[in-house]
Amino acid sequence: MTAEALTDKVDDLYGYVQERCLWHFSSRSWDRQENIDGVLAKAGDMLTGREPVLESPNDRLQFAEAKSMVEDFRERFPWLREAGDEEIRQLLDGLKERLVDIAITQSHNRELKHHLY
Amino acid sequence: MPMVLLKCDKDIPEREKHIYLKAPDEDTREYLPIANAATIPGTLSERGCAFCGAKLVIGGVLKDTIQMIHGPIGCAYDTWHTKRYPTDNGHFNMKYVWSTDMKESHIVFGGEKRLEQSMNEAFDEMPEVKRMIVYTTCPTALIGDDIKAVAKKVMKDRPDVDVFTVECPGFSGVSQSKGHHVLNIGWVNEKVGTLEPEITSEYTMNFIGDFNIQGDTQLLQTYWDRLGIQVIGHFTGNANYDDLRKMHRAKLNVVNCARSSGYIANELKKQYGIPRLDIDSWGFSYMAEGVRKICAFFGIEERGEQLIAEEEAKWKPKLDWYKERLKGKKMAIWTGGPRLWHWTKSVEDDLGIKVVAMSSKFGHEEDFEKVIARGQEGTYYIDDGNELEFFEIIDLVKPDVIFTGPRVGELVKKLHIPYVNGHGYHNGPYMGFEGFVNLARDTYNAVYNPLAGLAGVDIRVPEQVAPILLREAA
Repeated sequence: MTAEALTDKVDDLYGYVQERCLWHFSSRSWDRQENIDGVLAKAGDMLTGREPVLESPNDRLQFAEAKSMVEDFRERFPWLREAGDEEIRQLLDGLKERLVDIAITQSHNRELKHHLY
Repeated sequence: MPMVLLKCDKDIPEREKHIYLKAPDEDTREYLPIANAATIPGTLSERGCAFCGAKLVIGGVLKDTIQMIHGPIGCAYDTWHTKRYPTDNGHFNMKYVWSTDMKESHIVFGGEKRLEQSMNEAFDEMPEVKRMIVYTTCPTALIGDDIKAVAKKVMKDRPDVDVFTVECPGFSGVSQSKGHHVLNIGWVNEKVGTLEPEITSEYTMNFIGDFNIQGDTQLLQTYWDRLGIQVIGHFTGNANYDDLRKMHRAKLNVVNCARSSGYIANELKKQYGIPRLDIDSWGFSYMAEGVRKICAFFGIEERGEQLIAEEEAKWKPKLDWYKERLKGKKMAIWTGGPRLWHWTKSVEDDLGIKVVAMSSKFGHEEDFEKVIARGQEGTYYIDDGNELEFFEIIDLVKPDVIFTGPRVGELVKKLHIPYVNGHGYHNGPYMGFEGFVNLARDTYNAVYNPLAGLAGVDIRVPEQVAPILLREAA
């Protein structure tokens, strides 16, 4: 897959998350990082046929968020069905980078680093 | 497109940092309106006060609790009965209002005795009611009345009562948002964990940030019943005081209004390890998605799919009837904060409506991150808008309908633009599948109401009246 093709596909996934999801815009930067890491890890498991770990309540939460997203990904982006494990890893890495960038690193939200809720 | 300085704001240029017009290929890394900041001198804000945020929005919803407002009588009346949150016990919370009715002498000599007397009188008058929230207000905070000490004394004298105090005078924050915060944090620290629930299902959750506006909670409860999920605490729609002391035993926190109630969900996660799931309860596709996520958490996906199928079969044809007639209409949403991001995509996807302007009274920057991510290009995003700005924005975007509160609603009605009550609803509930059909119906009735056009006709001018008479005759 060319870099341009990868970028286009990450754009699609990113556009979906921005439009449909709330977990990357939670209250503080550490919540956002935890959700982005956790939901995308569970999504990676599901997209590559691995069984997601569901040991803790938070595992189950991230699984619930990822399940809904992955089903929509598969429905909206038929090219995802053809993607191999390595391509899926690249796509989700690209998506994570974009989400961390907008929701944490370059966010202008002045409350993100407040130590209290 | 950078931030926008409206013509009416030429003398208060600071307002430019609060109004954003979304342009193609822009996002919140470049522009994010400043929010949850003090109102700029020179602008007449339509915000409420911090006390109002605690009492009117959250505490006053409880169906079995005396709401003792320690202050002048106006603080009581102005936070009573202006929001329609019914209950299944005869609407106790909407029938009564309590106040210590502070007068000048109490301000001069102190109001603690007055408060103690009022609390005892209220419990004596209503012997079946054993729960109370006491709120401080601006004057009683300024004179330093110690409402916690008074509450402690009353609880000592009356061992069968429980009292929660909210020390959040109107001036303590920039908007009602401060009151949400104070009540959330106070409640989780002082009351959660002080009672144990009876567990009746292996699937337990708290439903947080839904205040039973015109029956929202009661409608959604029918879904949870059908799914076999026990809701331990509704924060705070149709809720009992004691139910909310048991919230620590839920397995999941489901959050609708993240602005008014996200704090307690965060604290329940931090203190008790209960995960937080944010959903949108307004809109068909969002509601279905919320049900799916909740069911996926509990591993009861099949039940969820069955519920969604039943609800869609019942309500989707009705929704589609309205969608056909509302497609392409333009809406402005001028409400508190979260309804901007809850509604902008749901009315677009489910009803074909384009949202052209949104204003938030008390949203934080997090709310603007969410709404700008979801909202359209060419749409205005406004923090703490004022009336002159609303007039100018209306000229710029020409909405067909405006979702806002009754005060601004009366203003726009004078411009012959229909409004729907975006806070207390016109004819709700609006949440859930059935609720969104209600919202669609009220939008349709507003947009196509002939009175809006007729109101602009001067009956003294024959040229204006003639076309109407001709139309009637035909």
